[in-house]
Amino acid sequence: MSFLSRLRRFPFWSWVWFIVGALYFILPLLATFEFSLTWDPAIPFKAYQRSFEDKDFWETFIYSNVLALATILFSILLIVPTAYWIRLRLPEARRIVEFITLMPFVVPAIILVFGMIRIYSAPFNVPFTDIQIMQPLTNFKAGTNVLIISGYMVLAMPYMYRSVDTGMRTVDIRTLTEAAQSLGANWFVIISRIILPNIRSALLSGALLTFAIVVGEVTLASFLGVDAFGPYLFLLGQHRAYEPAALSFVSFLLTWLAMGLIQLVSGGQGQAAGAH
Amino acid sequence: MSYLSLSNITKQFGDTVVVDNFNLDIAKGEFVSFLGPSGCGKTTTLRMVAGFEIPTSGRITLDGADITEKAPNQRNVGMIFQSYALFPNMTVAQNIGFGLSVRKESKEMIKQRVDEMIALINLEKHANKYPYQLSGGQQQRVSLARALAIQPQVLLLDEPLSALDAKIRVSLRAEIRAIQKKLGITAIFVTHDQEEALSISDRIVVMNTGLMEQVGTPFEIYNFPQTQFVANFVGSLNTANAEVSEPANGLVNVDGVQLITASDIKSRKKGDAIRVSIRPERFSFADNQKKDNVLDCTVENITFLGAVVRIQVKIGNAKFNMDTFNNPFLELPKIGSKQQVTCSKEAVLVLDE
Ligand SMILES: Nc1ncnc2c1ncn2[C@@H]1O[C@H](COP(=O)(O)OP(=O)(O)OP(=O)(O)O)[C@@H](O)[C@H]1O
Ligand SMILES: [Mg+2]
Repeated sequence: MSFLSRLRRFPFWSWVWFIVGALYFILPLLATFEFSLTWDPAIPFKAYQRSFEDKDFWETFIYSNVLALATILFSILLIVPTAYWIRLRLPEARRIVEFITLMPFVVPAIILVFGMIRIYSAPFNVPFTDIQIMQPLTNFKAGTNVLIISGYMVLAMPYMYRSVDTGMRTVDIRTLTEAAQSLGANWFVIISRIILPNIRSALLSGALLTFAIVVGEVTLASFLGVDAFGPYLFLLGQHRAYEPAALSFVSFLLTWLAMGLIQLVSGGQGQAAGAH
Repeated sequence: MSYLSLSNITKQFGDTVVVDNFNLDIAKGEFVSFLGPSGCGKTTTLRMVAGFEIPTSGRITLDGADITEKAPNQRNVGMIFQSYALFPNMTVAQNIGFGLSVRKESKEMIKQRVDEMIALINLEKHANKYPYQLSGGQQQRVSLARALAIQPQVLLLDEPLSALDAKIRVSLRAEIRAIQKKLGITAIFVTHDQEEALSISDRIVVMNTGLMEQVGTPFEIYNFPQTQFVANFVGSLNTANAEVSEPANGLVNVDGVQLITASDIKSRKKGDAIRVSIRPERFSFADNQKKDNVLDCTVENITFLGAVVRIQVKIGNAKFNMDTFNNPFLELPKIGSKQQVTCSKEAVLVLDE
């Protein structure tokens, strides 16, 4: 093969755009990192030390991660069967559902959270009576958790639905479903053993985006009054200089680590979707 | 006593009748093909047997039990799809074992049966491969093994060979037939390829726009087509407009040439317009033996088709094709020369429209 033709096969522009994109993403991160080291030249990692010594950091960070995992789990439980059913039986409903999932882009989070507070800060009564079934969701911890996870599910919906739906497009789910049915499988078996494994990489990218949204989210968390990582970082940012930079950088690394682990764990079982 | 029986099956989608009063009894171990042009309702009929569609009216019984409205996963029916439909996330062995693991069979039982099936389709070397690592023919064999692993009462195949290339298509269809005979399994095979249907089936159901045109053995379907549609769809055919000249003696007139037919035309009147059909291979050049029909003709064209040579002749004003087997010593007539062709009266078919 001649040098010229080898050169032609080298995807030059693809690499250019990849590098430009990577720089756009990595440069601010590097700047943040560099800045976080400048607090005390004698102790380069002072900002990190201080941050990790703070109990609030650990509590909010872990709490937000749990929220993110719960959001991902419930989103999958809601969205996978929905997207599946729409592809299988209700293709005409697809446009409507797509429109609904895009609502978070149209209605800002602040409006969502005010609506939630307005509705759920009232107690639940038996309809048309004053007999109370449950106190307002906003009044107790578990209730607030339900609210905030539901809110996050709404915010994550555009990403989650799109990834899942795209994942389902790459496999012929209708025929696979029928093949499984004729072999005796019920809906649960079909979804858990056929559909989910075949859209795994799509689920992973949906989960990644959801994770990123939830861990850094400020609006819902602060208005619902939960001690999440987003509001903590926000507060810190208003009062300190170096710690927020350090924490932003660390939380990035941790998210990447988590995703790397998921990729590693789920990637180990051979090829699945998109193999063709 | 039939094993699988479809009685008075009608299927409508909205106002469109897709299958119209379909009646068929299939014996245990029989291999039946549904043959017909695209859109005639073959797949729909098959899907009703599988349980993916429910008939608008009519009943389906399998081994004495009414299964008309049973859910597909409650029927014991194996299905093979044109697109193979293997589970991409599972290996060959896992695909084949899927139905058994759904039925909660023991690990040892599944392993034994999977090994048996893999041996049956000769894919021992590929047991741990994923579907995308196999060729189309291999994938379809895996899908066959997967369907057979659950020991289905009926095997349904919807154009299983259409996505394969010609060579594989022929060898795989022989393999399917051999396995079906060996296991004695009842099978319905959907195809729009008449050669495939003729070569593989015990019986053929020829379908046309939702209606059954004719049911019979390949021999009957080919040699004794009952309708114009069947005659046209199966094999190639000459058809010509004709006129009844002597109903009692079976004489018809094609463009001024008198032909004698064995078809029953006694109920027709002299002068009735009809159509006669003659298969190209039923003509031969005249020798000295006595034949029912001896006709003067002019050779118009000769086409070499490999195993056969197709000669276009003009009899009166009507054009006919005649096929003759090719061999190296064949003496072909000159184009434009005058010849005599013959055919028996059984070869001259007068069919219902
Ligand atoms: N779910 C459906 N809704 C509406 N019409 C349908 C549906 N399924 C099939 N049809 C129609 O029924 C007719 C028969 O379809 P079917 O798939 O049974 O044909 P076929 O004989 O299998 O054809 P092919 O050889 O092309 O596969 C077609 O006209 C098709 O458009
Ligand atoms: Mg079809």
